[in-house]
Amino acid sequence: MTIKKGITAGCIAALTSGAAWAEGTINVLTWEGYADPSFITPFEETSGCKVNATYVGSNDDFAPKLMAGGGVYDLITPSIDTTQLMIDLGFVEPLDTAAITGWDGIYPKFLAQDGIQQDGAYYGMPYSWGAIAFMYLDSAFDTPPSSLDALWSEDLAGKISLWDDKSAIYVAARKNGDMDIYNLTDDQIAAAQDSLLAQKPLVRKYWATAGELVDLYKAGEVVISNTWAGYQSSLLAAEGVAVTEFIPEEGAEGWMDSWMVVKDTPNKDCAYKFLNMQLSELGQCGVANVNGYSAANASAAKACMTAEQYSALHQDDPDYLDSLLIWTPLGDRFETYTNAWNAVKAQ
Amino acid sequence: MAAIIELENLSKHYSPTIIGVDDVSLTVEDGEFVTLLGPSGCGKSTLLRMIGGFEAPTHGSIRLAGKDVTWDPPYKREVNMVFQDYALFPHMSVGENVGYGLKTLRLSKGEIATRVKDALSLVGLYDKVNQRPQQLSGGQRQRIALARAIVRRPKVLLLDEPLSALDAKLREQMQIELKHLHEKVGITFIMVTHDQTEALVMSDRVVVMESGRIAQEGRPQDLYDHPASPYVANFIGTTNFLPGTSGATQGRLTHVEAPGTTLRAELDAAPPPGREITIGFRPEKVRVLAETESAENTLSGRVAEVIYYGLGLRVAVELEGGARVFADSLLPDRLAQSVLPQIGQSMRLAVAPHNVFVFEGRVAP
Amino acid sequence: MNLLRRNLPGALVVGIPVLWILVFMLLPYGIIVTYSFWLKKYPTFLPAFQFGNYVTLFTDPQYLRVFLRTLKISLLVSAASFLLAYPFAYYLVFRCRSQALRTWLYMAVIAPLWVSYLLRAYIWKTILGTEGVLNSFLMWLRIIDEPSSLFLYNQFSMVVTLTYIFIPFMVMPIYTALEKIPVNLTEASADLGMSPWRSFWHVTLPLSLPGVAAGFTLTFCLSFGDFIAPFLVGGPDGNLVANVIATQFGAALNWPLGSALAIVMLIVVLSIVSVSDRLERKGLTGGT
Ligand SMILES: Nc1ncnc2c1ncn2[C@@H]1O[C@H](COP(=O)(O)OP(=O)(O)OP(=O)(O)O)[C@@H](O)[C@H]1O
Ligand SMILES: [Mg+2]
Repeated sequence: MTIKKGITAGCIAALTSGAAWAEGTINVLTWEGYADPSFITPFEETSGCKVNATYVGSNDDFAPKLMAGGGVYDLITPSIDTTQLMIDLGFVEPLDTAAITGWDGIYPKFLAQDGIQQDGAYYGMPYSWGAIAFMYLDSAFDTPPSSLDALWSEDLAGKISLWDDKSAIYVAARKNGDMDIYNLTDDQIAAAQDSLLAQKPLVRKYWATAGELVDLYKAGEVVISNTWAGYQSSLLAAEGVAVTEFIPEEGAEGWMDSWMVVKDTPNKDCAYKFLNMQLSELGQCGVANVNGYSAANASAAKACMTAEQYSALHQDDPDYLDSLLIWTPLGDRFETYTNAWNAVKAQ
Repeated sequence: MAAIIELENLSKHYSPTIIGVDDVSLTVEDGEFVTLLGPSGCGKSTLLRMIGGFEAPTHGSIRLAGKDVTWDPPYKREVNMVFQDYALFPHMSVGENVGYGLKTLRLSKGEIATRVKDALSLVGLYDKVNQRPQQLSGGQRQRIALARAIVRRPKVLLLDEPLSALDAKLREQMQIELKHLHEKVGITFIMVTHDQTEALVMSDRVVVMESGRIAQEGRPQDLYDHPASPYVANFIGTTNFLPGTSGATQGRLTHVEAPGTTLRAELDAAPPPGREITIGFRPEKVRVLAETESAENTLSGRVAEVIYYGLGLRVAVELEGGARVFADSLLPDRLAQSVLPQIGQSMRLAVAPHNVFVFEGRVAP
Repeated sequence: MNLLRRNLPGALVVGIPVLWILVFMLLPYGIIVTYSFWLKKYPTFLPAFQFGNYVTLFTDPQYLRVFLRTLKISLLVSAASFLLAYPFAYYLVFRCRSQALRTWLYMAVIAPLWVSYLLRAYIWKTILGTEGVLNSFLMWLRIIDEPSSLFLYNQFSMVVTLTYIFIPFMVMPIYTALEKIPVNLTEASADLGMSPWRSFWHVTLPLSLPGVAAGFTLTFCLSFGDFIAPFLVGGPDGNLVANVIATQFGAALNWPLGSALAIVMLIVVLSIVSVSDRLERKGLTGGT
């Protein structure tokens, strides 16, 4: 549903962009649910700015797309493990936080996060967040799993799936008891690698896209995996597949997406109108409704969410938020992590 | 001599309407050179391919050296075939091509080598033993195909239009060569051709075919001098045909009415008087009469066309009755060119009674 | 000046394609070659001339392992395609009496080429899956009692899918090669005393080898560069070289290493093509 809507919006935006250019058009490079017509259309009507969206499939798409040549995109939404790279690559410019109403409503934990600030200036505006939670098929478990050990359980051989991402290293490290997952030593990474190799024969498939994971559950191929909290589980619920998300004893990673302004954008005016909208109730509840993700602006969330949604999305749950190991830029350790994961896949 | 091939009521019907060969019975003697002659589509290849085992007959039987081989596959028959376009294996050398058929004969390596050498020497191409067929001329390939077929010493060698792909000069040369080869190896040859000269030059016996059936068979001279039908008379050599009516017979001479004249023919078996017949005689048996000369069986008319072909002259004469006949004559010497007949001049022709054919019915071919 | 004007059309006819090839084929390769000598350095990479990337490829066992796996899968796909395609093409050319049936069967094999690759690969997912067509069928036959997960998400399913997808490229050249063999060559072989089986061995097979070589090259190179099948039907042990290249250009942001890998792969493919080309030409001229 959201996918279809998103595509339609994209098409309409593409078709109308020619005429709208004169008034101000912003090109955003973002995730599919982040430019949904449910909030983009009202924005276009009130602001007079047209929004032209291009979608990415993963965080790895931002750098190549921006490297390909400048002047195309005005706004991007990389996740917190990629924002620092954008800054270091010089693709984005500092934000004028004073021009963004609602900035003060953002959870302090997010504003304090590594990767969106440099030299005292903010480069990213926290937008939405969630957990890399775990998920299981209700019908396959009598006692619900509560630990990562379930993903290494021989009983579930051939029914396990894991995200095809360096995140797999984080998962294995936690299973090994190494909780400082973003600062692992070489030995700890090697141990995580070994755990993943031991797990490999039990794995049915490493999932690469949200749709793929949904298909795997639907086709009865897997019963337990990690997941983008709120997203695949709602897609599965819509398909009538009963799954439950859980945060294991070993904790879960948390992610946070931020809006960043591409350096030297000529559409600064519209870009800031857009940022304001996204941080307002319209954008914050919009993204929560469309994707099932939590909102970064606590005050806006409180104002526009129902009580159930508010608690379901853990908006007022400091313990939950604190239990999440929010992604952190890996800097020059990045290569070691990805290489370790690639070596596991190569085996 | 013993019969090597016996065909009995052999038929091949490709479908109820497409008839390749129709009820052919034929015996070939050991060592004979027999030619199957006929126009395109008359079933020569089909007949040959049935003997080779490449087509199954729909009716009848084939015996090879007294043994029924009707249902034997090709590789079990002691006959070999020279294909029309040679069918040499492009991925093998000349020597390998020739030796190919010896692989199944359980011969020693040395024996194979000598046999290949002998066969290639026989056709004079041993020096090409290591070349590829593609590197040879048409005539050379033809000879390799021959060598490959005879190296197995088959009881019968089948040749399907072996010379048709060669140019005229080479063809004439190969005709003689083939004939000599036949004499040298003593194998029975059955050859298919649609070229009557080839058939006459090379064979001991010619089988003329017409629409899947045998029209006539016999020694070349017999076919030439005593064709059994206008079809044969016309297929072997050229024949002038005139519609006619049979008349009275006196002794061996029979009167026949032709348009504008009456001829006498010397026949073995004369038709009863009053029948519709076809009169035939060959252009080379026609004599051009001098102005005052008188002769038996004269025909008069006017010269319509003069064809000069080096060896002689062919004059087309329009008879008084309207029919057109050819008369051939050899030129006595070069001076005689000055007395070439003029178009439009009147001319009298004569044909001796023993050179007149009479066929029943009016079947002008 | 005059000369140029007179030759202008000719120069354009030759020049435009040459230019096109230069710009759109050689230039990208040139860029890739250049990158392959660069140095990975956070956040991106630096221009350099060093062989470190190639050294990594040959010393880090993960690359050799993936390379050998890719080689194995491609060879299996080529071999399976050959074993299926050859008898099929042989039947079409030599045994199928009805022209209509032959055309129909040939089209049936070729037609999937008009269907999107992704769709065709996807179909195999639904056939081989745990709750897929094959399992239902085997259970219906009572050959198995519960669905087997052995058919999907492993190297077997990759080989099956790739074979299905690329088999037209094996059928077409073999069919063409067999069709070109004059019938009278097999007849001549039978005439010279060879049984049908030996005739096939000595005549038909050798003469169809150029087609087989072409088919092997095509299916091998196509599978060798594939990265969709591992993604759709491959299991945890399904990573192929092309996937590693994609990762290096994407997630790992290591274009130099990805480029070096692409160059090595290109060299492998080119050498296979040239070997097979030589084989084919040898077949055509009969080996001289
Ligand atoms: N495989 C076949 N299927 C159907 N009809 C055939 C086949 N082969 C030959 N015929 C038919 O059988 C008849 C005799 O053919 P055949 O090839 O024996 O003629 P031919 O005397 O050798 O002619 P040519 O001098 O042209 O080679 C022809 O009418 C031909 O169309
Ligand atoms: Mg013929």
